[in-house]
Amino acid sequence: MADTPEEIKKAQKKYLLIGLILFVFTVVTVAVATVPWLDFGEHGFDAQDATIGLIIATIKAGLVGAIFMHLSHEKKTIYVLIVIGILMGISLMGLTGWAFEDPIEYGNSVEGDGFLNPEVKAEQH
Amino acid sequence: MEIPYTVTARKDTGLFNAKVGIWLFLASEVMLFGGLFSAYVFLRIYADYPWPERALPIVPGLINTFVLIGSSVTVVFAWASLKMRQWRRFQIFMAITIGCAAVFMVLKTIEYKAKWGHQAVRMDDFTIIEGHAHYATILSDGKVEHFHTKKEAKKAGEKDAEVANKAAAAAKGKDEESGGSGKANLWKAGKPFKANALLFKPETIDFSMVRAHESWVNAMLEQTGKRNSRLITAEDIFLYGHIEDYSGTKSDPRSSKERAQKEAEIVKDYATAEEKRDHKFGENSLFIPAGTPLSYALLEKSRKVFVAGRAHNAETRTAILREKWKSVRRDLPDEKYWDQAPEARIDSATDLAEQVDEEGNCTAGSKVVSLVSTLSFRMDPPQPIIIKRSWIKRPVKGQDGRAELRDDTSLNAGDGEGGSTGLLESPLALSVDAIDFRWMAQKAEEAGNVPMEVIEQSWIFSKANKNGSTYKKIWKVHKKRIAELEQRLIDKYGKDEEGKPRRVATETDRYRVTWQDFMHYARAEHDRLMPGDSGFDDLRPKFWNGFAGPNHKNEEIHKLHAFPELEVPHHKVSLQSMFTPKWNTYYAIYFTLTGLHGLHVVGGALVLGYYLFFSKGLYRSDPEWLANRVEIGGLFWHFVDLVWIFLFPILYLM
Repeated sequence: MADTPEEIKKAQKKYLLIGLILFVFTVVTVAVATVPWLDFGEHGFDAQDATIGLIIATIKAGLVGAIFMHLSHEKKTIYVLIVIGILMGISLMGLTGWAFEDPIEYGNSVEGDGFLNPEVKAEQH
Repeated sequence: MEIPYTVTARKDTGLFNAKVGIWLFLASEVMLFGGLFSAYVFLRIYADYPWPERALPIVPGLINTFVLIGSSVTVVFAWASLKMRQWRRFQIFMAITIGCAAVFMVLKTIEYKAKWGHQAVRMDDFTIIEGHAHYATILSDGKVEHFHTKKEAKKAGEKDAEVANKAAAAAKGKDEESGGSGKANLWKAGKPFKANALLFKPETIDFSMVRAHESWVNAMLEQTGKRNSRLITAEDIFLYGHIEDYSGTKSDPRSSKERAQKEAEIVKDYATAEEKRDHKFGENSLFIPAGTPLSYALLEKSRKVFVAGRAHNAETRTAILREKWKSVRRDLPDEKYWDQAPEARIDSATDLAEQVDEEGNCTAGSKVVSLVSTLSFRMDPPQPIIIKRSWIKRPVKGQDGRAELRDDTSLNAGDGEGGSTGLLESPLALSVDAIDFRWMAQKAEEAGNVPMEVIEQSWIFSKANKNGSTYKKIWKVHKKRIAELEQRLIDKYGKDEEGKPRRVATETDRYRVTWQDFMHYARAEHDRLMPGDSGFDDLRPKFWNGFAGPNHKNEEIHKLHAFPELEVPHHKVSLQSMFTPKWNTYYAIYFTLTGLHGLHVVGGALVLGYYLFFSKGLYRSDPEWLANRVEIGGLFWHFVDLVWIFLFPILYLM
């Protein structure tokens, strides 16, 4: 970690460079979304545009984390904390996945009380 | 007390303590925002309406991104300056950082303000109309007139009142000459109101004593006063809050007949009384004579009586039930409680009502008081009441003859005699800056219809819409422009093996006429150009035009009448809202995410401001400690930047 005044003095150039790169990436993101000849995939917004946008955002976030937040050279304790945090964050995103396998099948019976599987319902009668 | 490890590192972690602390906090923040991003994904995937992609103005978001990245750089420089013991340099960089935070918040405010002031309407055929609501005022002849701005509406209202009062004064003079009373009915100009409100002419208004909203009651009173009308009780009302006033004591019970006599006496006394006002009688009971004017104080007084009466009734019922259960348990000790329950019910005829012996004498009074929870007032004479859209409980339909408000107030248009339904013609008037048929197209496809056919039969293009021809003209140009676009896409990208174009216009291109389109077509019309003509495309507004959205005050737009007017009949509106969380789930998650992020910016700036303005002493005594503090604050600031790095593309560009 840059701790002595000399090292910090040297590191400042790096910070400035990263700032510039972040500016450039921002311009690229906007350009990809607005300039017609930079439009990937189909005309207009689509999955490819989303992927590109998110990849650029992730690179930018990585740079901020690694350089500005000194994560490129941190102590082990902090890595452990971050990994736990990110894993929890991702699992929260994963919660959306539950919606794809909804155990309650609603709306499949005419009567409207169809959270019971029709077959199960038939057995009950 | 000495705080350990503020400067030196702990041996086991290799870190000063605050750093572990901030990272723990940031880990929890990752989870917080992770959950919200997850909510965003969920809402977007399961949206049953066309998601408003790329709907926000890019420029404020883009500038904010630059501002936050810039501030991230300056905050590191501030920290580095402290490490190198350069106080002055630290101050400069920190001040820039906080300045950036201020710029960010100002831009955010502009953006929010544009949303909160922008009207959206969903019609019953799923046409979405966006625009700027007009203002209206009620004139002395009862007519409603619409204006573009509040100022214009106010001025017109005042001018009208002036003219009306001059006429009234002249009439007064004539009346006096011929020996009349010479009473002039002066008209006071009403407040201008947003032309998305509802006008209702009630004969009676029922107020809930418990739920009536003070400011709404007062607003209605003010309106009534301005229109030379009044709200008064139609009949004598007796409210009982105490059982002894109602049915006497145990030793001296009072029958309902005796109570009626007593009430008649009170009414008689009142008729000869000098002071005509409601009055208290007995412990907690109230007599409101017919003709008492409405006031919130009166509702409050009545509420106290109602609450006392309700409490008495509840206590009485509980006591009776308790006794019943005791005896049931004694009589049927071996039964299960569900078999005991039918025996332990209150029979109101024997347990609560008054008891009369064989000779017709009252042996016991009623045990519960009869409760009145609403007070009904007559509007004399009926005049239109402006009901704000946020007051309404459920859509008001003409045939119902009443309007219900969220505080359980009910405006009634009488018993339907004379065919009055109360609801006055109160169209939602606005200058339109976008029309969106995407939802209508989606619905048409779901029903197996051709979207274009359904769209062209919609109300907005019909003869029922008095501005219909304007919209037809715009739609014609729009269709032509999209056809040109499709052709250009084919020319550029060609067709695949099956002969289908590789690239086609999006649903948004086809079915949404944006404010840029309106402006573009108005310019083209002015220059007599049509899509396909050379120079047509150059007239299109650039993406940096209209900073935070369409600007209705723009001179060019005004001069070209680029944003056409529209009056949507009230019964055609199925949802109207500003661009607030109410409008749809997109704006709900937009405001949640950006609002929470904005609060982080404010919080971070406060902490950084503390370092800037209140830390000179610490710098002198222990500069390394201050440097560590700034590093912690900086880490938080970078995190705020990091969240925005994701928010910007997700909300503004996707």
